Amino acid sequence: MPNLRIRSLRTRIALTFTALLLVVQLLGYFAARETITHAARLNTDTQLQQAEKVFNQIVQSHRDQLSQAAAVVAADFGFREAVATRNQGTIVSALRNSGDRIKADLVMLLDLDTRTVADTRISEENGALFPYPDLIAQARRTGSASNIIQLDGRLYELVVVPVKAPVTIGWVAMGFEIDSRFISLLTSTMSLDVSFLGKAVGGGWAVLASSLPQGSAAALIGPASQDGLVYGQAIRLSVGEAEYGARAVMLHSGDNAVQAILQRSVADAAAPFLRIQAALLVLSLIGLVVSVVVSLLIARGVTRPVALLTGFARSIGEGSNPPPLAMTREDEIGALAHTFNDMRVALDERERRISGLAYQDGLTGLPNRALFRDRLDQAIATTAASGASLAVMVMDLDRFKYVNDTLGHTIGDQLLVEVGQRLHAALGQQPATVARLGGDEFAVLLMNGDEGEALASARHLLALLERPMLLDGQVVDVGASVGIVCCPLHGDDADTLMRRADIAMYAAKRSGSGCLLYDTRHDTQTPERLSLMGELRHAVEHDDLTVYYQPKMDLATGQVNHVEALVRWDHATRGFVAPDRFIPFAEQTGYIKAITRWVARRVIAQTAEWRSRGIELQCSINVSARDLLGTELPDFFAATLKEFGVGPSSICVEITESAVMEDPAHALSTLEKLHGMGLRLSIDDFGTGYSSLAYLKRMPVDEIKIDKSFVMSMTQERDDEVIVRSTIDLGHNMGLKVVAEGVENDAILERLRESGCDMAQGYLLSRPLPAAKLEEWLLAWRAKAADTPA
Amino acid sequence: MKNQVSLRLAMFAAGLCTAAAHAASLPVQAVNPRGQPLANAVVYAVPVNGKAPAVESGKKAIIDQIDREFVPLVSVIQTGTAVSFPNKDDVEHAVYSFSPPKRFEIKLYSGVPARPVVFDKPGMVTLGCNIHDSMVAYVMIVDTPWFAKTDKSGRATIENLPAGSYRIVAWHPQQRDPNALTTQTADVPPGNANAAALKFSLPAETN
Repeated sequence: MPNLRIRSLRTRIALTFTALLLVVQLLGYFAARETITHAARLNTDTQLQQAEKVFNQIVQSHRDQLSQAAAVVAADFGFREAVATRNQGTIVSALRNSGDRIKADLVMLLDLDTRTVADTRISEENGALFPYPDLIAQARRTGSASNIIQLDGRLYELVVVPVKAPVTIGWVAMGFEIDSRFISLLTSTMSLDVSFLGKAVGGGWAVLASSLPQGSAAALIGPASQDGLVYGQAIRLSVGEAEYGARAVMLHSGDNAVQAILQRSVADAAAPFLRIQAALLVLSLIGLVVSVVVSLLIARGVTRPVALLTGFARSIGEGSNPPPLAMTREDEIGALAHTFNDMRVALDERERRISGLAYQDGLTGLPNRALFRDRLDQAIATTAASGASLAVMVMDLDRFKYVNDTLGHTIGDQLLVEVGQRLHAALGQQPATVARLGGDEFAVLLMNGDEGEALASARHLLALLERPMLLDGQVVDVGASVGIVCCPLHGDDADTLMRRADIAMYAAKRSGSGCLLYDTRHDTQTPERLSLMGELRHAVEHDDLTVYYQPKMDLATGQVNHVEALVRWDHATRGFVAPDRFIPFAEQTGYIKAITRWVARRVIAQTAEWRSRGIELQCSINVSARDLLGTELPDFFAATLKEFGVGPSSICVEITESAVMEDPAHALSTLEKLHGMGLRLSIDDFGTGYSSLAYLKRMPVDEIKIDKSFVMSMTQERDDEVIVRSTIDLGHNMGLKVVAEGVENDAILERLRESGCDMAQGYLLSRPLPAAKLEEWLLAWRAKAADTPA
Repeated sequence: MKNQVSLRLAMFAAGLCTAAAHAASLPVQAVNPRGQPLANAVVYAVPVNGKAPAVESGKKAIIDQIDREFVPLVSVIQTGTAVSFPNKDDVEHAVYSFSPPKRFEIKLYSGVPARPVVFDKPGMVTLGCNIHDSMVAYVMIVDTPWFAKTDKSGRATIENLPAGSYRIVAWHPQQRDPNALTTQTADVPPGNANAAALKFSLPAETN
């Protein structure tokens, strides 16, 4: 919790302010305290210095006053007369009387020898020597003398004046006891403490009078006795805990010494300042409280809107759509709030645009793949709940690439838009979604459709699409292949449905049947695709593929000098894998190039080996569209032929029409190079594609192979025979050899021979055979030929 | 001390005058310890054997008050002499003495007081004025008619001394002990021959 509190901006602001203020105030407080104490000491010292002067003045003035009073008394005629009587009683009473007049506490009469004649303290004459002869000496010089002295442990201001008649006949000493009144006069005048210390004869110091309490005054005896005090300078005394500044004034030295100690408590001197400081402290505390409150308020003023903004930003972040902030402040926070509001509007706008981009195909305006998936998911859920069914069609335009390449991308784009519009228009009334999945691939989601309805719809759509399109003044024919799946019949999740629709679509494209409903047979390869790919790679790298050779018979001579090399895969665990299960797949992935090279190398090596054994065979090698699109194929052939020492005329390269048509420019260029090297070229599956005769004319081929679909049925179908005959004529007219594939019986063979076909290939002669078997077959064939001359 | 020879002595008694035919003079000098002459020193002679003649009756002396001073400052008189205190100032004076040989007080007065004061005991009397503390006068009362007072040069002569032995006493008002008397003895030879001069050194700091 404390962590959280310190993290709060508000608390931090308040804390910072308060801590700063506190530090400043504490520093100020201690600095002031130190200064005050220092100043108090100095002040005390100065005060004491002044006080010593004042003290001396007061004592002097007191002394002058008393001296004058004493002088007046001593000059009184009656007094002198009484003194002159020499009568002890009279004299003592006169002394007392005079003393009373000026409030003296003791009066003594001394003769010229300074012996006591009379003393008001005692009645009888004792003739004792006056203990302060220095006073008499001074009085003799100056007319009067006075000092603070001690007598019998009491403190007196003692004034000595002469008694004159009119010459000096004796001395009067008058003592005024220094009592609490005088002390308090001194204290109040100087505002400090005064103590008088007296030294007993041969003894230590004792306190005679003091403004201090008795105990405190006694504490002065220590410093006075031990060290002796320095006179005329500041002294520092400690009485108990209290510190005092002090000055000592020696009033009377000698055996009966008397000194005064003026002292002032440093604490007292500091007191007024400390009172001010205390007041300041109170003010500071009030200021502190006020500053805490104010900084909390300020912090609240900052953090509350910040918290509001934070909440606003968070709810935007969470995707909810909070109402605009209503903040009318004109400060930075207000500006921030305004910016937040703008940001929210801009975010909304952008989100709309992004979701548009995310779910819509920019070109056709149709839903894209992602939206189609969403709708499909929803539709599946609805279907599952209602028990109804739905259908998904995936369609791929045929020959779109050809249109794109020949007529340009603009036309291609227009074509796609037109297709989209046609599909959309066709399905306008039905509960259906048309989407462009990408490229030339479209999809249709049909709600509540079973297989029959779906097939009907697909055919309808295909019919619509096959209508010629007028694009930019050009008439374009377009077809499509459609794969159809139904839910729940073919799957109950979008992935499966889409994948199977794809498979059906490819099957349709391969078969050229326009539209196909998904069938598990289409899907044989699919679950194994990935492992198949790995195994295919393994097979190529470990020479697990095998090349079979199918012979081609020269119809004119009956000799077999040509074979077609066909790749076969005898898998260790799967057994025999049909070429149509891995070749189209290899073509899709591009791995076909590796297979082509493997086969070509094998075939060239075999050709070289056969030749070395006197077997002269021209081998045909199938090359895919992908091989043609690359530029390295001619170099590969050149290098491999050279490696095995095989002449290029021993090798024939077979290509399909469609392979050339995918990218005629590239294909033609590659073919030109191969032809230039001396290789023979052959067009496979002639008649099934859409090859233009113009291209055929330009292609540097040596032969054409009539597709087996025409050949096989030529004895039954009149049309097919016409096609075969026409093709043979066409080929011969263009200077090409013509090979017929799919020769399965003698009737076909005879018909072909009649038509002038150059070579025949098919089961009638032989299935494709491994090299060794082919050799055996050739021996057998030649033996048979020798037996039955043609 | 300006009119230092203002002491006016009355005429000596007839007996003395007779004896005068056989009398001698004794010169005396007074100095302070530093040898400086002391004026106003009192010297008088007391016979070692026998008794000095009593004072003539009606013997008088005068001490004036002029310019707030007693004049003369120092007087020597024989016991029984009456002293008059004429006030010659235009302010009043009040003359007093607290000295044991003669204590008296003349209240404030102008002119000449009605009655002179008779000093009937020997000794030293200090006179003052009650309202002028600075006024002081010394009167030495002696039991002998043979006395003198030194002049500025510190010299004095005791006249008419009959032959015989004398104690010669000297005193000075400013000496440290006002009661101390300094004594020497002197023999006055018969005939008119003068006695040998005496010199007194008195412990007084001023002249």
